[in-house]
Amino acid sequence: MTTHDNESTGFLYPFIESEETDAGSLLEDLAASARGKAAESARLQKESLEEYGPGLTEAGTAMAERFLRGGRLYTLGNGGSSTDAATLASLFSRPARGRPVAAWSLAADEAVVTALGNDVGFELIFKRQIIAHARDRDVAIALSTSGNSEDLMTAITEANRRGVLTIGFAGHDGGRMAVAEDLDYCFTVHSQSIHRIQESHAMLGFRLWSVTQEHMSRPRNGAHTS
Amino acid sequence: MTITKEPSGGYIDASLSADLAAAALDLARKFHDGATLWVMSPQWEPHAHHVAVEFVHPVIMGKRALPSVALVEPDPVAQARVATQPGDLLMAVASADQPAVIDAMRRAPAWGALTLWIGSGPRPPAGAANHILWVDSDDPMVSATGRFVLLYHLLWELTHVCFEHPGLLKPPAEDCADDVCVTCSDEGRLAEVILEPADPLGQALVRTAKGEEWVDVSVLGDVAANDLVLVHAGTAITRLDDAREVNR
Repeated sequence: MTTHDNESTGFLYPFIESEETDAGSLLEDLAASARGKAAESARLQKESLEEYGPGLTEAGTAMAERFLRGGRLYTLGNGGSSTDAATLASLFSRPARGRPVAAWSLAADEAVVTALGNDVGFELIFKRQIIAHARDRDVAIALSTSGNSEDLMTAITEANRRGVLTIGFAGHDGGRMAVAEDLDYCFTVHSQSIHRIQESHAMLGFRLWSVTQEHMSRPRNGAHTS
Repeated sequence: MTITKEPSGGYIDASLSADLAAAALDLARKFHDGATLWVMSPQWEPHAHHVAVEFVHPVIMGKRALPSVALVEPDPVAQARVATQPGDLLMAVASADQPAVIDAMRRAPAWGALTLWIGSGPRPPAGAANHILWVDSDDPMVSATGRFVLLYHLLWELTHVCFEHPGLLKPPAEDCADDVCVTCSDEGRLAEVILEPADPLGQALVRTAKGEEWVDVSVLGDVAANDLVLVHAGTAITRLDDAREVNR
């Protein structure tokens, strides 16, 4: 709110601001702010991993079992979360170490996204792709800091209907995702900051990937059964 | 929330926080002067997109939308070359060994761009970019853990704090008022060749941080488009060889 106050009153006192010529104290404030926010980011990541440890292990294991049956991963998100969804998909499909699995972000193809957005409506950009792609051994991870994005929710419902394992990363109070029966797992990062939520979403995704890798590297008997 | 004390495994130490602060002030000053922020991330293109959407469509309502574009074509150097104008900003999210980023960072002074480089692993050489914001970790998975996201989120947040201090957005008064300034007249300036001479004794068109100019290249003999040269007093006096040598 101090931001708003500065902006709304700054024009009344142009001298005060324009006389400010020494950046030293601002730089100190900025550096301290950066350290504080980074500490909060680390704390929130740690807290989220602790809160959801068992659920992440269970979800990651279920994902691995699907990947071992030839399942693939779809990631979904809007805006910054679409880029985090793409980073997550790349982690699964092109990991620096470990076993790659088929994974892609459903926002990645601008031809598909704009075709669907233009022809059938933005809220269906992901659902229609789920209809086209999804098989019952696949996995979908939806990232939404509000937990309310309509395009994600309709896709999740459709994915669930088709037997896809559905996982939601939400923020704030979890929004619609927190109460959605179509989600097999919902991990809500308890923060009011979109930035801090996204940073924790990345860590939750990384943990899912780690569990998946660990599970897929275990020796298994009867790997070729059925 | 403790600010003075880092938790174990705190992500940003005093040194990195000072780097972030200085980078944010430079970003704010350049944006204030009309800069566009160009972003490349050849290994992790989503990071380039995330930076761009962060600045273009702020998550906090009421914050200024700022021009930023992800450069994700197969040849990001070529894309940056044609996009960048003097006064712009060029950011890379990449490890220090990315050939395209090394090349772009080396050419950026000739394009007149201020550079920022976010990454992890072995550091780029000192001076490889104006601001090097680095995660000192050898873990190849760092790019997928939110650490880079945190860094560019903080850059965005701090940049917008700087806009609340308009008195500090003016660049330090260093530009020379007349042409007796030694700094401007006698230094070798980095230039990139745009057009080679049309005839053997002709001049070449080059671009420098100040814009385009015709220079004498007879000392060098053949020059080709995109060669990097040093210009002194209207003459290209030496050619810079490939990136490996410049970056040791």
